[in-house]
Amino acid sequence: MGRNLRLENLTKKFGTLTAVDHVDLEIEEGEFICFLGPSGCGKTTVLRMITGFETVTEGKVIFDGRVINNLIPQKREFGIVFQSYALFPNMTVEENIAFGLKVRKMPKKEVAERVDQMLDLIGLRDWRKLYPAQLSGGQQQRVALVRALAPNPQVLLLDEPLSALDAKIRVRLRAEVKRLQQELKKTMIYVTHDQEEALSIADRVVVMEAGQFRQVGKPIEIYQCPNSSFVADFVGTSNFFKGSRYEDRVKTGKREFKISQSGPPTEGEVFLAIRPEKIEVFKEGTLPSALEPSNVISGKIDVVTFLGAAVRLTINIDGEELISDIIEKEFAQRQLKQGEKVLLYFPPEAFIVYPMTQREGIS
Amino acid sequence: MSRTETTQGLTISAPISSDRWLTGVTMGFLLAVLIFFMLYPVYDICKLSFFRGEKLTLENYISYFTNPRMFRSLTNSLIVSGATTVITTILAFFFAYGLTRTTIPGKGIFYTISTLPLIAPSIIQGLALILLFGKNGLFTRYLLHTDWNIYGATGIIVAECLYCFPNALFILYTTLSAVDTRLDEAAQSLGASALKTFYKVTLPSAKYGIASAAALVFNLTITDFGVPVVIGGNYNVLATEIYQQVIGMQRFNLGATISVILLIPSVAAFLLNYYLTKKSYALISGQARPFLQPSRPFKKWAFTIYCWIPCTFILIVFATVFLGSFVKVWPYDFSLTLKHYNFPSLGGVAPLWTKFWASFLKGEWQAIIAYKYAPIWNSLWISIFVAVGGACLTLLAGYIVEKKKPKGEQVLYTLSVLPAAIPGIVMGLGYILAFNKPYFFIYGTFWIVIINIIICNFTLGVLSSIANLKQIDKSIEEAAVSLGANPITTFARVVFPLTKTAFFSNMTFFFMRAMTTISAVIFLVSAKVKLAAIEIVFLDIDGRTASANAMCTIIILIVVGMLVAMRLITGRTALKGMSATT
Repeated sequence: MGRNLRLENLTKKFGTLTAVDHVDLEIEEGEFICFLGPSGCGKTTVLRMITGFETVTEGKVIFDGRVINNLIPQKREFGIVFQSYALFPNMTVEENIAFGLKVRKMPKKEVAERVDQMLDLIGLRDWRKLYPAQLSGGQQQRVALVRALAPNPQVLLLDEPLSALDAKIRVRLRAEVKRLQQELKKTMIYVTHDQEEALSIADRVVVMEAGQFRQVGKPIEIYQCPNSSFVADFVGTSNFFKGSRYEDRVKTGKREFKISQSGPPTEGEVFLAIRPEKIEVFKEGTLPSALEPSNVISGKIDVVTFLGAAVRLTINIDGEELISDIIEKEFAQRQLKQGEKVLLYFPPEAFIVYPMTQREGIS
Repeated sequence: MSRTETTQGLTISAPISSDRWLTGVTMGFLLAVLIFFMLYPVYDICKLSFFRGEKLTLENYISYFTNPRMFRSLTNSLIVSGATTVITTILAFFFAYGLTRTTIPGKGIFYTISTLPLIAPSIIQGLALILLFGKNGLFTRYLLHTDWNIYGATGIIVAECLYCFPNALFILYTTLSAVDTRLDEAAQSLGASALKTFYKVTLPSAKYGIASAAALVFNLTITDFGVPVVIGGNYNVLATEIYQQVIGMQRFNLGATISVILLIPSVAAFLLNYYLTKKSYALISGQARPFLQPSRPFKKWAFTIYCWIPCTFILIVFATVFLGSFVKVWPYDFSLTLKHYNFPSLGGVAPLWTKFWASFLKGEWQAIIAYKYAPIWNSLWISIFVAVGGACLTLLAGYIVEKKKPKGEQVLYTLSVLPAAIPGIVMGLGYILAFNKPYFFIYGTFWIVIINIIICNFTLGVLSSIANLKQIDKSIEEAAVSLGANPITTFARVVFPLTKTAFFSNMTFFFMRAMTTISAVIFLVSAKVKLAAIEIVFLDIDGRTASANAMCTIIILIVVGMLVAMRLITGRTALKGMSATT
């Protein structure tokens, strides 16, 4: 058994507002966990309760078998990386990295060694004498990362560390964080509102909404089997249909889809969700014959958006908009164009069915 | 690492962390200091004003309002302050407009000259006007041979205008440079004339700044003692009346009564200023753009000439006092002499200083350096203590209010900004009443003077500390804590280095105030404890105007020396952005 971090019934209230609502989670040593959710969902508050900067209203934070609710932050030995980098502007890069070691009264020689080691990790040896203001945002965040790692913390917490950077650097640094995590086998808890970031980096993703954990699972599970219409909508893109289900059919408007879903049978009012890349698009007259006829619908391509390797089509079916992604090669082969009439095929197994919840606003 | 064998779910309890403990103790200390050295004296004054002998009564107030001579001090104060407020606000507004909205040359010089009144005691304005327009004034007696002189209301108003000018200017300068000039451009592009743009756009967008500057000038004037005491003549105002009643006639209860009466308009003006400053800052947009269209030649010349007017007056004041300290008999004999720097025997000694010089100097030189210059040495010593102590205490108070935010932080904040509302002369009287007791051992020593000056100027120190600390991202401190630094290390290694500039400029401010303040400490000096700024008043009262000028010059030189030293240490001009509010 490693040094696990456990959240038990964790709750945070600010006055009458419940920011974090009775959540439970077990994080294993060496695991890379991502908290994902829209802003204001409470993910940062969970992180701050783990760091000790926020008090716990109810429940427990347990680390290595000990309840650490009342332990002050500097005794927790958790490293933190902040969105704003929070480097000490009055210290050079190496002084920043050495800070956590010096306050632990580590001998000078060891401090110097450790600082070298850390600078090597991020390949910034030549920058050691510079001040933070002389570095770019990406470089600053790398320094902040190894500054937090230098004292060899038990857990590393990252609070939207890449949000302040521009897109390209964000992707590169994301890979670097992942590499560091795999090299050092350090437990990392990472907060982000960027679903792509969460899915690409984490061992497990916790999707949060309104202070609650909506789904906890591996990135592929979250993407392929979202357990609620919220997750299906927030993680990735989904097309939704409202309808009523009987056996393996869902009636929606004047259409009726055949579905083949395992899992609990949901009767009555339901949501049907389907990912854009699961929908197949054919030019009129080129439809293969073996397809389930009730799942074929005709529409018109309204907008064509190039996403690089894929092409996103916004398709109008009887006044409703629907999104379909197809790979660029296929788009070219099938000679699809804006304004063209097309036939869409919805494979029965690609549908995910949710019971109608209070969330009815999804279009 | 202290990891002990633990069982599942064992709670580590640390109900009071060292951080919270330290915060609590520091806040408790600051609260105690402010309550004891600020609220308690004011409370004593209020209490005394309702007592005659042992009897609780309104008699003091009745005497005040039924005695026409005393009652006149209230109307006089209001007239003088009202006039000064209107004149200074208008003058400073157009001056600030010239500096921020036109492309006149020499803005740096104008700005620097206009801040000069801050480095001298307010009394300098009075001394200069007397030399120029007094009974034996250069203009009145020597050039125009007229019997008219400037003593009285006119003198007070002119002197106060000069004294308050930089304070009003700072607020208006900030306001006008912060308001988005694109609004003006937008108005003009829509076809509004320059004049219309000024009335409809510029003026309304600066209205809170203007009102706040006016309230500040009113507060500064009605509480000032240095100017009216030298140039007021028989024209009594509230501040001089308090001094008269207490020192001249030993009527402490009447002094207390007048103090309470003075407190009302001064607190009101302070609250108004405080409220308006908040409003004014809310209007400032982050979009403000410093770029200015070149002004048309006429506008440029008009504003250049206009800006030279107050600057010339200020320069004349300083030149006059400086010159007045070196000439034999102003204005009859302009031959130069150093004799006024050989002060009449002031009495009093300075610890260390007197002993040191007396040990090897003999005769005349011993008398001058060891004894006659003792007040200057005292002032310098006290100013250094005030500078260090004031800067430290206000930084701590600001840190707790802005960063730690413990329970009761609002109380600390309120008490910290309150001193600016209390006139120095009232605070001084309060100190006599509260602390002139045999068991209160620091009364009559340097320490009470040091504490008094720190408390009287606490507001600006705290406000500028808070403004500076606001700029430090909260997560920087959290980063230090998460890296294992304890509260003291965090403060010393991270927070303090980032507030150093503000700290040094606070030190400069406290030093200047300690060197130049008159009103509060005039009640606290004694035969044993003498101060340079107070000696100016006494020398002037004794009719030794030239020596008063000499003393004033020495104070200015010391302050300038301090500013130069600070500039060398921090590489910044410490005066920038300093005013009685901000």
